[in-house]
Amino acid sequence: MAKDKSLTQKERYKSGVIPYAKMGYWEPNCVPKDTDIIALFRVTPQEGVDPIEASAAVAGESSTATWTVVWTDRLTACDVYRAKCYRVDPVPNAPGQYFAYITYDLDLFEEGSIANLTASIIGNVFGFKAVKALRLEDMRIPIAYLKTFQGPATGVVVERERMDKFGRPLLGATTKPKLGLSSRNYGRVVYEALKGGLDFTKDDENINSQPFMRWRDRFLYCMEGVNRAAASTGEVKGHYLNVTAGTMEEMYERAAFAKELGSIIIMIDLVVGYTAIQSMAKWARANDMILHLHRAGNSTYSRQKNHGMNFRVICKWMRMAGVDHIHAGTVVGKLEGDPNMIAGFYKTLLSDKLPANLEQGLFFEQDWASMRKCMPVASGGIHAGQMHQLLHYLGEDVVLQFGGGTIGHPQGIQAGATANRVALETMIMARNEGRDYLREGPEILEKAARWCGPLRQALEIWKDISFNYESTDTADFVATPTPVA
Amino acid sequence: MNEKPTDTLDRAQTPASREDTPIDLEAAFRDANVQEVLDKLDRELVGLKPVKARIREVAALLLVDRVRKGFDLTAGTPSLHMSFTGNPGTGKTTVAVRMAEILHRLGYVRKGHLVAVTRDDLVGQYIGHTAPKTKEVLKRAMGGVLFIDEAYYLYRAENERDYGQESIEILLQVMENQRDDLVVILAGYRDRMEKFFQSNPGMASRIAHHIDFPDYSLDELIEIGGLMLARDQYRFSPDAVAVFRDYLVRRMNLPHFANARSVRNALDRCRMRQAVRLFDGVRSNMTVKDLVTVTPADILASRVFKDGTLDMDKPPPRGA
Amino acid sequence: MKITQGTFSFLPDLTDEQIRAQIDYCLRNGWALNVEFTDDPHPRNTYWEMWGLPMFDLKDAAGVMLEVNACRKAYPNHYVKVNAYDSTKGRETVAISFIVNRPKKEPGFGLVRQEAPGRTIRYTIHSYATDKPEGDRY
Repeated sequence: MAKDKSLTQKERYKSGVIPYAKMGYWEPNCVPKDTDIIALFRVTPQEGVDPIEASAAVAGESSTATWTVVWTDRLTACDVYRAKCYRVDPVPNAPGQYFAYITYDLDLFEEGSIANLTASIIGNVFGFKAVKALRLEDMRIPIAYLKTFQGPATGVVVERERMDKFGRPLLGATTKPKLGLSSRNYGRVVYEALKGGLDFTKDDENINSQPFMRWRDRFLYCMEGVNRAAASTGEVKGHYLNVTAGTMEEMYERAAFAKELGSIIIMIDLVVGYTAIQSMAKWARANDMILHLHRAGNSTYSRQKNHGMNFRVICKWMRMAGVDHIHAGTVVGKLEGDPNMIAGFYKTLLSDKLPANLEQGLFFEQDWASMRKCMPVASGGIHAGQMHQLLHYLGEDVVLQFGGGTIGHPQGIQAGATANRVALETMIMARNEGRDYLREGPEILEKAARWCGPLRQALEIWKDISFNYESTDTADFVATPTPVA
Repeated sequence: MNEKPTDTLDRAQTPASREDTPIDLEAAFRDANVQEVLDKLDRELVGLKPVKARIREVAALLLVDRVRKGFDLTAGTPSLHMSFTGNPGTGKTTVAVRMAEILHRLGYVRKGHLVAVTRDDLVGQYIGHTAPKTKEVLKRAMGGVLFIDEAYYLYRAENERDYGQESIEILLQVMENQRDDLVVILAGYRDRMEKFFQSNPGMASRIAHHIDFPDYSLDELIEIGGLMLARDQYRFSPDAVAVFRDYLVRRMNLPHFANARSVRNALDRCRMRQAVRLFDGVRSNMTVKDLVTVTPADILASRVFKDGTLDMDKPPPRGA
Repeated sequence: MKITQGTFSFLPDLTDEQIRAQIDYCLRNGWALNVEFTDDPHPRNTYWEMWGLPMFDLKDAAGVMLEVNACRKAYPNHYVKVNAYDSTKGRETVAISFIVNRPKKEPGFGLVRQEAPGRTIRYTIHSYATDKPEGDRY
């Protein structure tokens, strides 16, 4: 695909319109520097547009270019500031789509600002007419840039030490129904679920401060539930108090009250925006608070395969921005998630040095330079009967959230929580004993259900529940989506 | 959990047909894969015929014991603690490693590793120091074999308050109560070991197998030397073998002769001299052959030939 | 009440065979193990007493069991737990922690509420056992 690129200075800066590829945005011989930020886009050019020209245009529009030549370029070291597309590959099994590798000089971005990074990388360029669709698939963040970010306020290691919980996934549940409960009734759910055996309960993303339940009241009742449960079990417990609000001032006010009440964790929604997330991460670090992020809204741009951005990029940004928890898929639950893709998200959140792995959608090697790890959260349509699969696919460092799978238990919320905890501990024990727990899972659970009534009922009621839909976001480098057992 | 493997050793039998039950000892032997270890021992160690024969006997006894156990004909775990006696460099440690492997394959120890220690690892310097040290070593050795070299240093007849006694007592307790968890091999010079057992009857009574390691003959030592060189991609020039034999005859009469270990040390020095000879000599026209050949000159430069003393400035440690 | 700290607290008390299997899992992972005991099981009591130093380089569970049993014998009515430490870069913390002995009676905790302005409550989790001095609690 190599093309002649070089124009003389005179030709290059003559007024008018010249192809992006010829303006220096296509440099097939360019070798990215260790300090460069690299982005991989899936480009779908308009009919008749050359893929290299389209990719060069993406490089141009996400860095210095405008649609026409400007003489003011010549007042700058514009060769440095131009992003350079250095490689364009056709996407396997997807005619008309191309992977464009674009490298950006470190000086293009403000230190420690996701907002600034994204304003370039996913700014105007996504509306650019020459491409029919555009998707940001992955990014390589150089250590030089990573080190300008705080990273997770608490991180997996410290969170576990604070919680005094080791060697198993953590358990959580979202209070249901999502909307409408009064604070008093809401806190009841918190108490029952935590006393029954969960480590965390959670506000849902859209529980903020509505007429049926104002935030202050909710915080007070939830913390009563948390502390009662801690006293009756001897364990550290937490409820993610959602501090999402209309303004930063209100968010800070709510967070401060959560701290005053002795909560160990607060939460925010992805929709508050990158800057607000970074601010709350700084606040959480300064106030010894675990920061949970609900990824509300991400599917609007991460789900479709040809346009938007891949969730793994959000994972990277959020780890840099400094959240401690992020919802990252379940594989077996009700929400979107191909096993390979989910494995890639989890690794992105939890690894220190991560090699490239095309099957899992990891296009670049990524060194996290000891940035703290972000705990993935698996939530949505999961239940105790899937414990072997959850452990197999998601591993040990994860929060498993059984909302319906706890509160919907016929014997009540405590029984639902106990069923989940017993199923989890049983499975961890079997795994550690060297059992083939994925295959023998149902049998292992059956055996525990013989002495644990709540688990017996949970297995009975949810035995046929599974969500077998094909994922839309799948790997490009395997022939078929990975089937889930 | 932990289901027993249903191999030939554990096959359950009904009491009615017991006495007439055919026993396939060959299959049991094959399943345990002990021959492989015996073969390895044969390859690794030249000579040592009586030792190898004893190891085979012990292996046979243990195998039959296991089969008998399958029929409830044996009560409890037999004592497996051993003593290996012989001069330095006669292969005691190597054999101990293989013995650990055999015990593992026959199911007498769970992990099959060897922890080799001496008095310094077991006995402390001050009061209250010994018990934790000994226990620490015992814990590391559990599941495998604890090899105590020159075990008699644990006992100092001249000093009643020596901390070694405390270590011996802890060892005895574990050797008696945790036979399933650990096998202890005591090693050292034969005469000293005998004296040690005389003064420590408790220890003597817990040792089930005594294996004596004879010194190597001159021919065996030369063969060992050849093997060692070959393993490092060297060889003697044809006329060097006789010189090496001459060297060994002289060396064996000098103090601190340590069998295979002395051969190893002598060869290491030969390699050094060979390197210096190549370095100082005419460096052109060299071939690969020069790089791999040890010549009479490399051996004859030894002080053993010159003034009948050892090749060292300082008095060597025991067994060097 | 049954205190549910540790990895396996919702299961029936572990048998020695089960404990050994978990220890073997830790050893296979190359983790160091130690035994700790306490008569103050407050959820924020991080530092239980150490029963000896952590054990490094062991190959078999028997060595750890020796200490587990010794600790249980010395403190039959205390909480005793086994911890495993993973020294891998990026983890360097406890990898698993489980209770292997508990007092016959566990009185548990009371919740002390101090009313503060604006309906706020300050909570104190109070262990009934710690009303008595150390050593006389269970």
